[in-house]
Amino acid sequence: MRDPLDADPLNVDTIRAGLAAAGFSEVETVDADLALPDAIAARQPDLIIIASESAARDTVEHVCVSTQHAPRPIVLFTDNDDAERIKAALTAGITAYIVDGLRAERVKTVLDVAYARFQLDQALRAELDATRLKLTERKLVERAKGLLMQARGLSEDEAYKRLRTMAMERGLKLIDAAQRVIDVMG
Amino acid sequence: MPSRPSPDKPRRPALAADAVGHGADAPPASQRRRRAPTTAAGTSVMTLVDPAVRAGAWAAGSDAPEKPEVRIGFIPLTDCASVVMAAALGLDRKHGIRITPTREASWAGVRDKLVNGELDAAHVLYGLVYGVQLGIGGPRKDMAVLMNLNHNGQAISLSAKLADKGVRDGASLRAYMTREPRQYTFAQTFPTGTHAMWLYYWLAANGIDPLREARAITVPPPQMVTNMRVGHMDGFCAGEPWHARAIADRIGFTAETTQGIWRDHPEKTLGTTAEFVQRYPNTARAMVAAVLEASRFIDASASNRRRTAETIAAPSYVDTDTDLILDRMLGRYANGLGRTWDDPEAMRFHGDGEANYPYLSDGMWFLTQHKRWGLLKEHPDYLAVARKVNRIDVYRQAAAAAQVALPASDFRTAKLMDGVVWDASRDPKAYADGFAIRA
Repeated sequence: MRDPLDADPLNVDTIRAGLAAAGFSEVETVDADLALPDAIAARQPDLIIIASESAARDTVEHVCVSTQHAPRPIVLFTDNDDAERIKAALTAGITAYIVDGLRAERVKTVLDVAYARFQLDQALRAELDATRLKLTERKLVERAKGLLMQARGLSEDEAYKRLRTMAMERGLKLIDAAQRVIDVMG
Repeated sequence: MPSRPSPDKPRRPALAADAVGHGADAPPASQRRRRAPTTAAGTSVMTLVDPAVRAGAWAAGSDAPEKPEVRIGFIPLTDCASVVMAAALGLDRKHGIRITPTREASWAGVRDKLVNGELDAAHVLYGLVYGVQLGIGGPRKDMAVLMNLNHNGQAISLSAKLADKGVRDGASLRAYMTREPRQYTFAQTFPTGTHAMWLYYWLAANGIDPLREARAITVPPPQMVTNMRVGHMDGFCAGEPWHARAIADRIGFTAETTQGIWRDHPEKTLGTTAEFVQRYPNTARAMVAAVLEASRFIDASASNRRRTAETIAAPSYVDTDTDLILDRMLGRYANGLGRTWDDPEAMRFHGDGEANYPYLSDGMWFLTQHKRWGLLKEHPDYLAVARKVNRIDVYRQAAAAAQVALPASDFRTAKLMDGVVWDASRDPKAYADGFAIRA
């Protein structure tokens, strides 16, 4: 990815060579301009590479947001090979690896690390989302139970059974049944 | 701590004027209830500060900044002025810190550097901070809005080609798009940012669905001008001086100013992470106090604005001609099609603190628009998120240190260009879902 206003900050040829050595056969250089979202949609790349200090990063950001649910790894390259910055970026959970972009032999390592990191992040994020969802579910069910107990004078156990029966009879998930109870009684 | 010499004076007619001029409903009763402590005129400053914060900040007997040197990122735009001037005028040292303004190339870069701590704080889009708080399309991290940096002063430009077809404003754009169906492309600067929200709001208020009837994309401001010149783009929303530049380069005209969309809208903030505020509360307070003083300086006179424009026009900051910055900073507008006017609602940096207060309702508004345009799938807890992000506690201490008045409420109401009233004390969910045009 190249910022059309910038004079080759990435040393594209070096990175191309590194990518080829790493076994990436289809490498394409595109301008990060208006056509970028379409280019990404059409080609579905496995990996996007951009200079970390490029203004065009915001255009890539647009693609990230519009494909929130199918993210892809983005690798940032910079001339500044600073171990602390790499570490900081990784701790922050940024799917990026910052490295000296000018040595072809390092590109493969970088890509390997970035890709592994990306997959780990995705796994963790999925796990976190699942946990969050469960927590929300439990809160909703608790609230619905509370409402039933209060309004109908039920015990906690009875309230739960009532909720479960309601869900089964109407073919709803427990959480949806709980939501309905809250909508009506809350 | 110095005690504030003047009692809490009534707000600049802002709130009152909002109610009258915009025909807004009376301020919500909740405003009075929530803000009761600050309305006690002449109350000692100490009582205005949350006791827990006070204890945290001064328990050790020192309010000296824990981190005396801070790097504050900025994007080269007119509204980075107060951050730059805080350092240029030495107002930072007055509050025991030294600010190094750091020029950044992209909002994504600003975000990453805030998140990983490479920057201590930044001149940053209001909506971006909230986007990170909720993890929209990127890393999630607890963030902090320390203060609002400016009201107003952004714009929407349309291409000279559209002008040739008789398009002048939103209504004529709507009519033209109906008459000449094709793909229309409009650009903004960051998907969760302020310009995206102003652009979408303006298009929708003119009956144009920004997601279905147009192609909305993100483009760095320097590329906007280039792309519009070659005819790839029909319009864009961004900060100044890019609209003045579009006119100077004869590639477009100003179809709307953002103050025309929402008079005195929130815009850039001084943003950082919650972690930074927790670790360096005194530094956070000192940054806000220094930038508040710089904001007051800029708004104090036309000659101060001139000096500010000259300072920020330098290559290390905005890197452009002073004149391109100054005219619109002084409210002297030309739309590029022969119309000129003096805008009393041009970019404001201070407004006696009115432009700086991190109103909860301002933060909540961006969340409603994120929901409206599908960036958020579910309704967040609007108030809870805003309370967490907008650090009114820090702001108040800083305002006391810089002797800046506080408004009577953490909420303000506004009537936007389509006549819809934003009143955060009513149901924000209903507000977000209530627009006819949305995702």
